[in-house]
Amino acid sequence: MMQEVLRLQNLQKSFGSVRALKNASLTLKEGEVVALLGDNGAGKSTLIKAISGVFPIDRGDIYVRGEKVSIRSTREAMDLGIETIHQDTSLAPDLSIARNLFLGREPVNLKWLGVFAPLDLAKLRDAASALLKRVGISKKLDADALVSTLSGGERQSIAISRAMQFAAKVIILDEPTNNLGVEETHGVLRFVKEMREAGHSVLLITHNIHHVFEVADRIIVMRRGEIVAEQTVADTDLLTVESLITGADLSALMKRAQ
Amino acid sequence: MVQQAGAVTAEDGAGRANAKSSLMRSPQFSSFVILVVLLVVFAVADGNFLSPLNISNMMAFLPELGIIALGMTLLLTAGEFDLSVGAVFALAPVVVMLLVQNAGVDIGVALLAGLLLCIAIGAINGVIVTKIGISSFLVTLSMLLIVRGAALYITQGFPLKSWDQPGFFVTLLAGSFNIGAFRFYTSLWWFIGLSLLAVYVLRYAKLGNWISAIGSNRNAAVARGVPADAVKIWLFILTSVLAGLAGMISAFRISAASPVAGTGYELEVIAMVVVGGTALTGGRGTILGTIVGALMLRAIRNGIVLVGVPGLAYNIFVGVIILAMLILHALLQKNAARS
Ligand SMILES: Nc1ncnc2c1ncn2[C@@H]1O[C@H](COP(=O)(O)OP(=O)(O)OP(=O)(O)O)[C@@H](O)[C@H]1O
Ligand SMILES: [Mg+2]
Repeated sequence: MMQEVLRLQNLQKSFGSVRALKNASLTLKEGEVVALLGDNGAGKSTLIKAISGVFPIDRGDIYVRGEKVSIRSTREAMDLGIETIHQDTSLAPDLSIARNLFLGREPVNLKWLGVFAPLDLAKLRDAASALLKRVGISKKLDADALVSTLSGGERQSIAISRAMQFAAKVIILDEPTNNLGVEETHGVLRFVKEMREAGHSVLLITHNIHHVFEVADRIIVMRRGEIVAEQTVADTDLLTVESLITGADLSALMKRAQ
Repeated sequence: MVQQAGAVTAEDGAGRANAKSSLMRSPQFSSFVILVVLLVVFAVADGNFLSPLNISNMMAFLPELGIIALGMTLLLTAGEFDLSVGAVFALAPVVVMLLVQNAGVDIGVALLAGLLLCIAIGAINGVIVTKIGISSFLVTLSMLLIVRGAALYITQGFPLKSWDQPGFFVTLLAGSFNIGAFRFYTSLWWFIGLSLLAVYVLRYAKLGNWISAIGSNRNAAVARGVPADAVKIWLFILTSVLAGLAGMISAFRISAASPVAGTGYELEVIAMVVVGGTALTGGRGTILGTIVGALMLRAIRNGIVLVGVPGLAYNIFVGVIILAMLILHALLQKNAARS
């Protein structure tokens, strides 16, 4: 019933002598939220950058809906329905919110002019306003405001609404709740749930385990470039997950202490 | 909320109410005010400043640097710059005229060869900057030396003998016509046409959105599928081609090609662009500002001669005025950020 959307097989990636990814494999099913956990430097961002076409992988295979693909650019990833919100801010501060929302996929008139085609400014503005309204931040933000005038949380909300608008098959969020206030954090988590209900798959990277238990179906833990554990949320608990991340057997320690 | 109107996005602001105030605060507007002030000062100081002859003179020079400045504005907005433009300004006409005069090549073919040469120079700059990842300062500085050196070497340092055969291409690039007491060159049309095109591209076209985004945050643009490297390479090519075109216009106008023509133009052009309000750090570019900047530097160079500043002291004045403009822009921007 749950169809496989994305499958990674034995991905490898090195930066010089640093082996950031060693044989990472995972699958993502339709309408599933998978949390990718791991300490700083475990290779989480590297993994998702490989999927989203930021850089090529050294070795390994990627399958989208069972079909083998090679993702050589961010454009190819987007065309395959993979939308990513990167940890390092993914907006251009000197552009307006509206222009950022449609960056790379601008609505244009006279399409045959290619890159010289004029932007459809009315459509750009209307679509941006509609989108901001849908995410629930339209009261505060004007679609023509420059992103450089926004707070970190507001920027994150913009990046998320952008992933939302293109209704991608797979949405990847790299620490989306970083720097967010309580309200915005709940907004993000609500968004993740909404995406699942709409049948999208979400790959969520976070350091906040409470969030994981709130929204995720499955947990995948990485350590030093490898996937070391995979569990369904229903079958595990906070302590176990924490020990998996650090590599220390915390639950055994707790037992001994009792 | 839309205070930094210098950005490409400010003009399509829905907040009509503050559109006026944001325009007043924009860098191109403050540059424009200063331009007007300068023009008034020069006009009052010397009656000849606004004479038809002097205006015609200024308009003859303006397009040559102005055309290069248009390309430089787009390049700076994308976060790169090109120091080799002054050298290309010299090399292109030198090569074209050598081909015609010494090798007997048809002028049309020679111009095509010159165009291809400019494309090659721009492409080499762009590919090294984007694919090997060396800063454009170092790459284009080296290219300046190579290109200038080549121009000197192939001419043995001497200007080429004068070019006195009028023809289609000369008329096309450097023909002149009179409007009343004013004498204008066709190069002015080139400048106006290219300016309109550049305004359109930067402000209204999809490509302009990409250029600004690349200069503002390259990684963000790439993550959205914008082909940042390709855009930059094309902008380097465009800038080189425009420098070569400006060089041809100048050579045809004065009927000679010199291997030392355009020395120092790279900095003059960059000054025009930043005085107009384009950010040296990328992301914020304004063609209107560049036009104002080009007019301003032209007027300053011309005006201070008329008001009697000694020739050797020109650059002191030019430097002081540029610095004052930049300080003004910085103060305005700080103000905008605070309110
Ligand atoms: N562009 C790069 N060049 C060299 N090394 C890199 C590069 N990107 C990542 N690395 C290295 O690869 C390893 C994995 O980094 P990665 O960013 O994937 O970690 P992460 O799991 O996302 O960590 P965090 O939780 O801190 O974001 C680290 O040792 C890092 O230093
Ligand atoms: Mg990371």
